[in-house]
Amino acid sequence: MAQLQLSDLRKSFGQTDVIRGLNLDIADGEFVVFVGPSGCGKSTTLRMIAGLEDASAGAILLDGADVTRARPADRGIAMVFQSYALFPHLTVADNIGFGLQLQKLDRATIAARVADVAETLHLTPLLGRYPRELSGGQRQRVAIGRAIIRNPKVFLFDEPLSNLDAALRVQMRLEIARLHHRLGATMVYVTHDQVEAMTLADRIVVFNDGRIEQVGSPMELYDHPANRFVAGFIGAPSMNFLPLRRAEGRAESPGMAPAPLPPGKETATELGIRPEHLALATGTTGDLTGEIELIERLGAETYAYVRVPGQPADLTLRLPGDTTLRPGTPVTLTIDWPRARWFSSDGRVL
Amino acid sequence: MADTLPRTRFNPWPATVFTVLCVLAVLFLLPTVGVLLSSIKTTREISMGQLWSAPASLFLGNFTEVLGNPAVHRYFLNTLLVTLPATAVSITLGALAGYVFAKLPFRGSNALFLVIVAGMFFPPQVILVPLFRLFNGLGLIDTLWPVIIVHSALGLPICVLMMRNFFATVPNALREAAIMEGASEWQVLTRVVLPLSLPALAVLATLQFTWIWNDFLWPLIFTQSDTKRTIMIGIVNLKGQYSVAWGVQGALSLVASLPTLLVFLFFQRFFIKGMTMGAVKG
Amino acid sequence: MEQHNRFWRIALLSLPLGVFGLFVIWPLFSSFYYSFTNWNGFDANYSYVGFDNFAKIATDRLFLQAAVNTTIWMIAAIVLPTALGLMLALLLDSRVAGARVFKSIFYLPICLSAVIVGQIWTWIYQPDWGLLNTVITQATGEKFKYAWLAKPDTALWSVIVAWSWQQTGLSMVIYLAGLTAIPGDLLEVCEIEGASPWQRFRRVVLPLLAPSTVVVVALSVINSLKGFDILYIMTGGGPFNSSDTLAMHMYNESFKKYLMGYGSAISVVLFLIALAIIGLYFRQLRKVDRIYG
Repeated sequence: MAQLQLSDLRKSFGQTDVIRGLNLDIADGEFVVFVGPSGCGKSTTLRMIAGLEDASAGAILLDGADVTRARPADRGIAMVFQSYALFPHLTVADNIGFGLQLQKLDRATIAARVADVAETLHLTPLLGRYPRELSGGQRQRVAIGRAIIRNPKVFLFDEPLSNLDAALRVQMRLEIARLHHRLGATMVYVTHDQVEAMTLADRIVVFNDGRIEQVGSPMELYDHPANRFVAGFIGAPSMNFLPLRRAEGRAESPGMAPAPLPPGKETATELGIRPEHLALATGTTGDLTGEIELIERLGAETYAYVRVPGQPADLTLRLPGDTTLRPGTPVTLTIDWPRARWFSSDGRVL
Repeated sequence: MADTLPRTRFNPWPATVFTVLCVLAVLFLLPTVGVLLSSIKTTREISMGQLWSAPASLFLGNFTEVLGNPAVHRYFLNTLLVTLPATAVSITLGALAGYVFAKLPFRGSNALFLVIVAGMFFPPQVILVPLFRLFNGLGLIDTLWPVIIVHSALGLPICVLMMRNFFATVPNALREAAIMEGASEWQVLTRVVLPLSLPALAVLATLQFTWIWNDFLWPLIFTQSDTKRTIMIGIVNLKGQYSVAWGVQGALSLVASLPTLLVFLFFQRFFIKGMTMGAVKG
Repeated sequence: MEQHNRFWRIALLSLPLGVFGLFVIWPLFSSFYYSFTNWNGFDANYSYVGFDNFAKIATDRLFLQAAVNTTIWMIAAIVLPTALGLMLALLLDSRVAGARVFKSIFYLPICLSAVIVGQIWTWIYQPDWGLLNTVITQATGEKFKYAWLAKPDTALWSVIVAWSWQQTGLSMVIYLAGLTAIPGDLLEVCEIEGASPWQRFRRVVLPLLAPSTVVVVALSVINSLKGFDILYIMTGGGPFNSSDTLAMHMYNESFKKYLMGYGSAISVVLFLIALAIIGLYFRQLRKVDRIYG
């Protein structure tokens, strides 16, 4: 197993800088998830770690050894592709044993190790099948099998669940988590789905526009986002943002009762409140007044979208599943002030 | 299925179409049938004007004459010696270049690809004289070498075009997965991409075999002595020997076309696909 | 990775590019060179003659004749197989019984060598017992004897018919592929909008076949520029050069009269014509591409 280190890693295609200097240390056995919107550079970074893409500058170190220029196969890294990339003309057994066959190991050794891997992944009855004859989840497991047979130092996953339907995705997510538990291997996982990131990661790396916005454990990112981007990206439904105007040491926003600016937040221009940190006012006084526009029932909980006159967007409010509120109801909301986040004009959290 | 459909009035359209097609099919087949008939009739019958009547008896003398002629054996052997290697070489070279254009593109690779493919469109007469001089200088005139070489080279446009287009349909992730597993580019080509391209290879083999087998121009230019001629030139040469032996000429034509006819019958699907693929992507 | 890619590009491309460069590109440029010489094909000595060969082309009556014939040949080779191929494709597309067999029958001539096709049709035009004269004799009741290929008036057209017979199948399959590519819902829209079969063909099917038409026409032009084998077999360009084409003329000047310098000049003209046509083709293709992707 191994620790992985990216140091001032850069990538540009012609004049366009795609990755603008990454520094990241991944500890031995850690499960790290790269998350971010499409085009943020997370996949490119993964492909540079794999060796499928050249780094324009900077270094990739595996256990302290510089592998920036090493060939992909020489890095001791395995990768699970989004499309699984199973060879359609080879059986499950040959797909899993492909790398060993290229190493010219003898047949008996290959067969034994393939059988071993198949056993742990419950693929034994499928060894003679072709990829086309497998279900999505089975293909996924074969792809994982091909990755683990070579005992790689690092596993890379490139959006491995995005081709699966919702139910299977949850199941495979658990399976990958279990795999990480059992192997204790270093894993780097790319996804644009922040739920996958939250549930799988020891640490999440939030990418945006070729840069790392923040690195931290899921709850760190959720509770203490470093900036507006992370605050908005992590958490579903996402945080509510209210524009602020400062007047005489108080913050004003359309539809909101003026509130005193806490010390250190004097320069705030925006207020962020998560849906669960808004509540229906019990009395007549509250921080915000508006009208319910839409109700989304998920069963265990309900989201209400509240139209506050003057606000650029509806505010999302989390309610119990059995709420009886209906669209059109006027409501008054209170803000859980200590959990509210204040953002400066450049997006930093104050 | 038919029971569930409401009964409609008699529609004369399909019957009309069918009849028209039958008439056209007969017209289209007539020339070929003529050759077939001639091959089983005696020269006397044909010159008496009985070529187009139904044969009274099956006369096989023409075929024994053709198949017993050592010159014909020689022509056949020469044609095989040209067609098989030239087909194999052009497809191999096409696969090599097609792989680069599909999977390892570089700045200017599209322009280079277009230059090669454009070669398909030019009349071969344009390069006739310089090639003649080149092979004359190499002392290869009147051997099969120039024919093989030129067919390998001129097969490149279609082979590169089809291999590139087919390789492009093989997902890039397969190449990358193989590379992650330690495959070299050569192993990616031979162990992953080519095995997945068997249909394209079949298409190309069928097309190239037919074209090279049927070619007339290049062996006409590069060979002179009778022992180096290919079958299509041989047919023309034998016209003198069998000047009014029409039946023998018919049998000879049939025998000469047999390989391509067999290829056509067995690989019709690939053949048509190749024609339309090469054409539409051109 | 990029370094590794560069290595493999060179390794994989050098052989195909070498072969193509040596035996196609280099000869192409040499042709330009020889077109300015009086090389006779054998002597080591030859001299530079400037634009003499091209000046000769301008006054060569046979070249003019060949150019006219090539034009006729090209136009006929576009119109006949294209129209016939489109008709066959439309008939076959209507899910008629035995469509596969019909398709094979119409397509069969494509896999025959031009030599064989030439021979078959030489027999059809044979004056004494050929099919054509036999049919005319039977129809009119009196003995008809006409040497179709030996008369300047009919030689070229007789070969064009034989050529069309062979090429129609190609147009047909390309049009068939184009027809199957037309989405069924578009035709259903016609049904719902109440279009007559003719309207449907004229307003929907034919415009949607435009990409196929571009391909068919281009192939016809290109193939007809190459037209050599079948003429060589059937008429040899005769009688009195009445069926000579540029390709044929180039061959005769180079390899019959051993005027390789002059032949090269003709091939350069042929090249330029092909270049112009390909240019037109790609322009048209781009236009079609904008609509049909």
